[in-house]
Amino acid sequence: MKTVLATLLALIIAIGGGAASVWFLLEEAPAADGLNIGPWIAYPSLGTRDADPYSRARFVRRGGVPMGQAEGIVFTARTDSNQQTLVSGCTYRLDGPMPVARFWTLHAVDNSGRPLPEFEGRPAALQAMQVQREADNSFTITASSQAHPGNWLAITRPGPYQLLLTLLDTPISTGAAVEEIRLPTITRVSCDV
Amino acid sequence: MFRLLYAFLVGIIGAGIVHIAIIFLLPANASNDAWSRIAAIAEPYQPVLLENVEPSVLPASQRNPFLRAVACRFDLSDGPLRVSAREAVPFWSMSLYDRSGLNVFSISDRAAPGNVPDLLVLTSKQLSELRNEMPETFDQSLFVETDVTQGMIVLRVLVPDESYVRQVGRALGAISCKPI
Repeated sequence: MKTVLATLLALIIAIGGGAASVWFLLEEAPAADGLNIGPWIAYPSLGTRDADPYSRARFVRRGGVPMGQAEGIVFTARTDSNQQTLVSGCTYRLDGPMPVARFWTLHAVDNSGRPLPEFEGRPAALQAMQVQREADNSFTITASSQAHPGNWLAITRPGPYQLLLTLLDTPISTGAAVEEIRLPTITRVSCDV
Repeated sequence: MFRLLYAFLVGIIGAGIVHIAIIFLLPANASNDAWSRIAAIAEPYQPVLLENVEPSVLPASQRNPFLRAVACRFDLSDGPLRVSAREAVPFWSMSLYDRSGLNVFSISDRAAPGNVPDLLVLTSKQLSELRNEMPETFDQSLFVETDVTQGMIVLRVLVPDESYVRQVGRALGAISCKPI
C-alpha cells in the first residue's frame, strides 16, 4: 500500500509539476529572448530557426507569420517608462529619438492584440509621415482619450492598452548593438480622476 | 518517512523530464503553423490576403493598420517560383517560411532595383540551371536562393495613408504567384 501511494505521489508530482512549469514558462514568465529597451520589448528571433526551444514552443502555440529580420521589428509597450500599466484614463507623452528606419508606425492595441477601434475615422495609429516635427526634427506624440493639439494618438477604448511600434527596414533587427538603440520614452502626464 | 522523501525526489526529477519532453515535442506535434493554416483555406499558388483571415492564421497582435499582407504557398519541385506585381508600391518586404512556419529568409525592397515587387524563389540547383540561359524577363527580378522546397511567402506592403489605398489594393489584387 505504501509503495503504491509513494509511486502515485511521484507520478503526480512529475506530470503535474512538469506541465505546470511548462505552462508557467510559456505563458507567465518573461521570455528570455526578449529585447528590452526601456518600456519597449521585441522578440527578434521569434519564429526563426535561431529561436531557443522555449521561444519555439511559444511560437508554435501562437502561430502567425512574424516579420523577418530584414523586414523590420515590432516593439510592444505595456507600461510607461515608470513601469506603470498604460490605461486609457491617463494621458501619455512619447518623446525622444526614433531609431534609424525606413519607416515607422505606432498603433494602440487592446490586451489581446487587436487594434483599438477608430475614433470618428481617425485610427488609433500614427506613422512617420504624419507627425508634425519641431525645427530640430524631433517630435512629441500625445496618447490620450481626449483630443490634443499636435500629434494625437486617439485612445478610444476604456481600460488598459498596449502600444506597438513597428520599425520597417531598420538596422536594429539585423543586429545593431543593443546598447545603442534609443526608443521614445513614455511619460505619464496626467490622469482623469 | 524516508519512502515519502524518496517519492518526492523521484517526482521532482520526473517533472524535469516531463518539462523537457513537452518543450521539445510541442513543435513536432503542432498543426497550427502558418503553412497548415493557409493550406486549409487556399490552394498552392493562390494568393491569400491576410486581412479577413481567422486570428489563427494571423494573430491580431501581428496586424498593423498601415500594412497589408498577401501569402502564397509554393512547392519548388514544380519549378522556380515567381512572385510579381504590376504596380509600384511605397514599401514592400517579403518573408519566406518553411513547411513548419519558421521564417527562414526575409528581404525588403531596399535590395530590389525597383518599387515593383518582383521575386524569383529557387533552389541553388535551379539557380545554376537558370544562370546558363538567363531569360531577359528576369532583368528586374530579385533572386532568392533557398533550401526550402515546400514553403510559403508573405509579401507585406505599406499603405502610409488613404491616398495609397487604391494603388496598393490594385497592386495586391494583381499579385501573381506562379511557378515558371
